[in-house]
Amino acid sequence: MTDAIAISNAQLRFGETAALDGVSLTIPQGTCFGIVGESGSGKTTLMRAVLGLQKLDQGEIRILGKPLVHGRAALRERASFIQPIFQDPAASLSPRSRIRTLMNEVGTVLREPHAATHERLAVILGRLSLPPGVIDKYPHEISGGQARRVAIARALLMKPSILIADEPTAGLDVSVQGDLLNLLQDIRRSQNITLVVISHNLAIMRLIAENAVVMRAGNVIEGGEVGSLFGSPQEVYTRDLLAAWPSIRAVNTKG
Amino acid sequence: MSGFFATLKRIGSERDGWLGLAFTLAILVFALIGPLVGPDPNAIDIKARFAAPELAHLLGTDNLGRDLAARTSVGTRYALTLAVMIVVISSIIGSLIGIVAGIAGGWVDRAVTAVFDIVNAFPPLILAFALIALYGKGSATFVLLVTVVFIPQFGRMARARAQTLRNLSFIEAERMLAVHPVTIVVRHYLPNVAGPIIVLASMNLPVVIAFEASLSFLGFGVQPPNSSLGTLIKDGFVSINQSWWPTVAAALVLAIATLGATLLGEALRRVIDPKSTGAR
Amino acid sequence: MAISLRDLSVDYSLQQGTAHALRGVSLDIKKGEMLGLVGESGSGKSTVAFALMGLLANNARVTLGTATIDGKNFDLTKRNATAALRGRGMAMIFQDPMLSLNPVFTIGTQLGEVLRRRAPGSDRKTRVAMAEDALAKVKLSNPARRMNQYPHELSGGMRQRVVIAMALLSEPALLIADEPTTALDVTVEAQIMREIIGLRDRVGCAVLLITHSLGLVTEYCDAISVLYAGEKLESGTVKAVQRQPGHPYTRMLFDCEVPIDRERHADASQNSFTVISGDLPDPRRRPPGCIFNGRCDVSFAECAVVNPGDYPVGDDAGHSARCLRLATP
Repeated sequence: MTDAIAISNAQLRFGETAALDGVSLTIPQGTCFGIVGESGSGKTTLMRAVLGLQKLDQGEIRILGKPLVHGRAALRERASFIQPIFQDPAASLSPRSRIRTLMNEVGTVLREPHAATHERLAVILGRLSLPPGVIDKYPHEISGGQARRVAIARALLMKPSILIADEPTAGLDVSVQGDLLNLLQDIRRSQNITLVVISHNLAIMRLIAENAVVMRAGNVIEGGEVGSLFGSPQEVYTRDLLAAWPSIRAVNTKG
Repeated sequence: MSGFFATLKRIGSERDGWLGLAFTLAILVFALIGPLVGPDPNAIDIKARFAAPELAHLLGTDNLGRDLAARTSVGTRYALTLAVMIVVISSIIGSLIGIVAGIAGGWVDRAVTAVFDIVNAFPPLILAFALIALYGKGSATFVLLVTVVFIPQFGRMARARAQTLRNLSFIEAERMLAVHPVTIVVRHYLPNVAGPIIVLASMNLPVVIAFEASLSFLGFGVQPPNSSLGTLIKDGFVSINQSWWPTVAAALVLAIATLGATLLGEALRRVIDPKSTGAR
Repeated sequence: MAISLRDLSVDYSLQQGTAHALRGVSLDIKKGEMLGLVGESGSGKSTVAFALMGLLANNARVTLGTATIDGKNFDLTKRNATAALRGRGMAMIFQDPMLSLNPVFTIGTQLGEVLRRRAPGSDRKTRVAMAEDALAKVKLSNPARRMNQYPHELSGGMRQRVVIAMALLSEPALLIADEPTTALDVTVEAQIMREIIGLRDRVGCAVLLITHSLGLVTEYCDAISVLYAGEKLESGTVKAVQRQPGHPYTRMLFDCEVPIDRERHADASQNSFTVISGDLPDPRRRPPGCIFNGRCDVSFAECAVVNPGDYPVGDDAGHSARCLRLATP
């Protein structure tokens, strides 16, 4: 099977600093893939390049086997199989448009009658436990949790086969972050979507991803199946990251 | 529409805003209703020339005995119409140019900014003289001229806003969904640029009114038989030795109009864009 | 000398009414110890810090509360009650170090300013030496060069070190750290936490660490207080609370934390995350009974009626929780 995303030798410089210093990685279809790194590691830049929001200096990105090219026609085609979930999904809803308008836009792009769009939307809203009335509201009229779900619903309406989530739990309380992560896992399983999660949160990554890479200063330091990657890391940096993570120890929770 | 009335209410709840609202409303009534109920502004009555304010002539009369209240009322209407027209046209054109420059970046952005800089480099009055020398006097020239002078202000603000918006998640989300670029500009950029543009427009209204008055005062603006506040002040100024009333009457209306619009614009800015005042 | 805070209550007047951000919160921190004040957004944890520092917003009002710091009593309902302690006796580390640093002065100037207040009459040379020494103590590389640099020339972690050096020089009795590492990478976070501990041990001050991260608290703190919707639900030593959480909320919070050493299940459906369902109560109208009643998984009829007091948990001294289950044996 072709890989969902294949990146070879991606290079990008911002002035003096190399944001991406020859990154190569492949993400198999239907899996959850994690990209771990601290700020400045290049993890977000890499994903922006995959989404076509950032041009590379050198290197090639293939999505489902097709090389990524810029331009509107290519973007239209790509939009129907790869969609981002932004760091603050609520902020990815245009503040002065009703949610209905935003959903209709997706239908227009797909050249689908509005009735058909809304039929599919009703199913998606139900799955994400959103009330149907939500589409007549403006983004500021719904709660933060609902806005997050609406943004995900909008991405799903595009029927993507790859979802890229950038720091999905940043700024969330522990009591609600699980809700979002469970939802993402559920979507992935039920629709066989390839899920790429970018995060600095190692503990979450270990549970949600099957494979992961650790990035630092524009390079992939090491990667592999999460169990062995986090269980017996080969690189000093990975070990440092794991050691620095402030976490309650599993053994301590039960007295 | 409830948003409009809510905004009015919040403007009225401040002292400056209340004054601005009252002045503007008074000027509007004066300009719109005055010509309908007042005497004929062009009726000459030589016997009553240079009359001081009295019941028959609320603001007195001029050198030909024409009623000054009626004449300033017509002049105000003319000045307001021109000002609103100019501000509306220049804000729309300026916003669109600015948004496109802000989104496009690169050489488009540099070219637009350079043109803005060139226009702004000339003092408005000098630029006015140059354009009048080229195209001659007249209202159309005047509107064109002032519109051109004011476009860069709106353009710059729209460009700056568009540059900020371009990198926000919701604009990127639209792009990633492959929504048509025109839809993105009209539906997602414009409404989010509109707030500060409306504020800037309202604050530019008095500037345009005063600019029109100064051009007309110098004889380059509105041409007879039309009269604007500027020409009225000029006409009065010629005969200021016989009577100071004509000058004062027109100047007073000009002062109230610009002060009212300025206060209103300030209040509008505080309501729509509270961050820029630095208050918490 | 212990730091104590008694019955702190803070109201915010909003357009939609008065919100009670804190209701009768009491804390005790022993000298040389670090207390972790844990709470989620909306718990009012930062309000505690602002009330202590006298930095509350204009629409906030302390309705009740006293503090004992450095042996002196302060009535927090008075404006600027603790003004005399700012810069000496009490220091604060914010999430954003730029709130504590002035962008137009060099690091050296700002540290010198702290010393001028702390040790009046000292000559410039001594002050420079002391400032450089403080920078070296917080492990900032090349202290002599840093003295002539401006805050914008440093990274976030380095700035936070400078703020810690400032706190070090002011030798406070109480250090308040409000989410000091939230904006930093994990590796830098660990270093900064070590420097805060180092400062505490050097000066012997009490530290109030305000955070949303139970991981940080269990790793670095001696004691813990759990705040929920403006009320303190549990407090005790970290060990005791972790071993036997007295309040269901505390237990659920611990369950939500994902331990770094939890192994991934091959069956993906087993890798689900724990969630506390429900929403925070309206801060304007406190429901009767227990504040956590609506979201609790072990509540009973009385919980909706009776407002619980602080009951001791287990036999560990100072471990108490606000749960009716502890009152009914």
